[in-house]
Amino acid sequence: MLRVLTANRLIDGEVVFWSGQDWTESFAKALVFEDDGSAEASETAAKTEVTRLVDPYLIEVMEMGGRFAPVSFRERLRALGPTNKLDHGKQAVGGADIAILAQAQGAARSKGRVDLIRRK
Amino acid sequence: MYLYDDIDRRMLADRAQEFRAQCARRLAGEINEDQFKPLRLMNGLYLQLHAYMLRIAIPYGTLSADQLRALAHVARTYDKGYGHFTTRTNLQLHWIKLRDAPDILDHLAEVGLHAIQTSGNCIRNLTADPYAGAAGDEVDDSRVWAEVIRQWSTFHPEFSYLPRKFKIAVTASPTDRAATRIYDIGLRLYRDADGELAFEVGVGGGLGRLPYIGAVIRERLPVRHLLSFLQAILRVYNLHGRRDNIHKARIKVLVASLGPDELARQVEAEWEASDKAAADLPHAELARIRAGFMPTGFEALPAVSRRFEAAKADSRALARFARHNLAPHKQPGYTIVHVSLKAIGETPGDCSADQMDLVADLADRYSHGEIRVAYEQNLILPHVKLDDVPDVHAALDAAGLATPNIALISDIIACPGLDYCALANARAIPVAQDIARRFADPDLAEKIGELKIKISGCINACGHHHVGHIGILGVDKKGEEYYQLSLGGSGEGDASIAQILGPAVPAARVAPFIDDLVGVYLAERRDGERFLDTVRRTGLAPFKAAAYADAH
Repeated sequence: MLRVLTANRLIDGEVVFWSGQDWTESFAKALVFEDDGSAEASETAAKTEVTRLVDPYLIEVMEMGGRFAPVSFRERLRALGPTNKLDHGKQAVGGADIAILAQAQGAARSKGRVDLIRRK
Repeated sequence: MYLYDDIDRRMLADRAQEFRAQCARRLAGEINEDQFKPLRLMNGLYLQLHAYMLRIAIPYGTLSADQLRALAHVARTYDKGYGHFTTRTNLQLHWIKLRDAPDILDHLAEVGLHAIQTSGNCIRNLTADPYAGAAGDEVDDSRVWAEVIRQWSTFHPEFSYLPRKFKIAVTASPTDRAATRIYDIGLRLYRDADGELAFEVGVGGGLGRLPYIGAVIRERLPVRHLLSFLQAILRVYNLHGRRDNIHKARIKVLVASLGPDELARQVEAEWEASDKAAADLPHAELARIRAGFMPTGFEALPAVSRRFEAAKADSRALARFARHNLAPHKQPGYTIVHVSLKAIGETPGDCSADQMDLVADLADRYSHGEIRVAYEQNLILPHVKLDDVPDVHAALDAAGLATPNIALISDIIACPGLDYCALANARAIPVAQDIARRFADPDLAEKIGELKIKISGCINACGHHHVGHIGILGVDKKGEEYYQLSLGGSGEGDASIAQILGPAVPAARVAPFIDDLVGVYLAERRDGERFLDTVRRTGLAPFKAAAYADAH
């Protein structure tokens, strides 16, 4: 399973992804984990970054012509921005990385939502 | 309108200062997210998909022009230049940064605004009739009683940790414009046979996973006992409401499990045993609050405005606006003007900072400095002279705020849905936009007449789908957005829960589906019947047959 580590940044709520070195706002720069062990180790480490992050979790991604996109529509929305205002959120910068995400198909339940409901 | 006194102002300043310190402790790592989350929620700050969301309370939907300007300033300075008015008549800002939240609360406090009672298991921000003080059919100003309850409920120590959130709505008119029957407590003020003001008290209404219409547990409550009776209801709920299951914790579940008669018996027993005088509001205090809502500055005018009539004769657009966006005012020569936040193709309930400033300026110039927020996600200028309607219409029209569609098919309620909300299953906004575009022709919309479509992106029902003439609920089918339609709901005086029509359909099918339903209605309706009336008369069968014809 291909996975990416994501969270919201504490100070401003911005959606961020783990690049392998640091947290990035761009999904295209996210590190794609191929093995469960390193993915889960990174998630465990992220959970200790309590002054930087809120609720880190792993999302499933899929390969699309040499690039990647989240399988879940909810996670694609987090990586792009709202569909009613295309000039808001990460999608505002445009470009090929954004276009790939916007065109991606695929459906899966988001672990982020499931975790949120469980905690509620 | 009522102005906050020194106690309120000090309370808001203290609260903002307290939250600033809490944010600093969180950012410094002195408290963790589990400890901080309830604190930020008590100040209306949620973490959503893309950013923090600040839900600002608009107590009983009443704003001064200065307050609306302050909201515009906050939206422009700290958000992306707009805000979203909700079915709870609050304003949500969807792009807030935690580091800015304390400054925002300071700005809001300066004009008597805040985010208290917009989250948490407390008595939430009150809802009242958006026509209060202007409606020709009201027996009193419902805001007086909403303000009484606000002062009693804010930070009430006994009711700050209820089993679940608790919402109260007040109306003082036979026409229910505050959806009181779907509230935890719905208060309906009337004059009894002796001419005395009394409340009919409904309890246990609510939508969400388990939708219920509230049951009347007291038909006549003398107004002087309002607070002691509310206290009795809250005490019974606080003691017996379930705390073991969040889905069964609202008072509606207690009412359903005990039955309204047994709940009423327990409330009456609690009330009889209580020290009523200690809880009820002293008359002098009621008079002080009432004075804050006394109407001022109405001119003696003829009931008909020649200027307005001539302008309508000259302008089809103004005449159409007058047919749909005006309501009768109690004062001759005045009217209530609806500002539509449902321009075709726009996001229902969204209002830009520039639009807020414009409405604030119009309120100052033409409406005694007052604005109201309706739960249908529109704004209202409550006190406009008929003479001034052509000018108000022209100004609103230039800003995209004069769509003549109040209560028509494109006046759609939609929650933020999956575009913003972390809890949503599916998007609501694009579905509303699709339907509005399909019925953009104002002649067609007028021919269809009153039709209330309400869309929620999840079962929590912020979009009131259970009480839509057509309700639309977004569901998650293995990660795909599907929509379940229901018919025959109403949140008004004739309240009812809509019935599910059939299997959920994908997003692209929703607007054509609505087309089919409208086609059945136009073919079936009898003289004067609204869509809702036809559904109630015929039942779902003809609608189901047409809408699912392709499926057979």
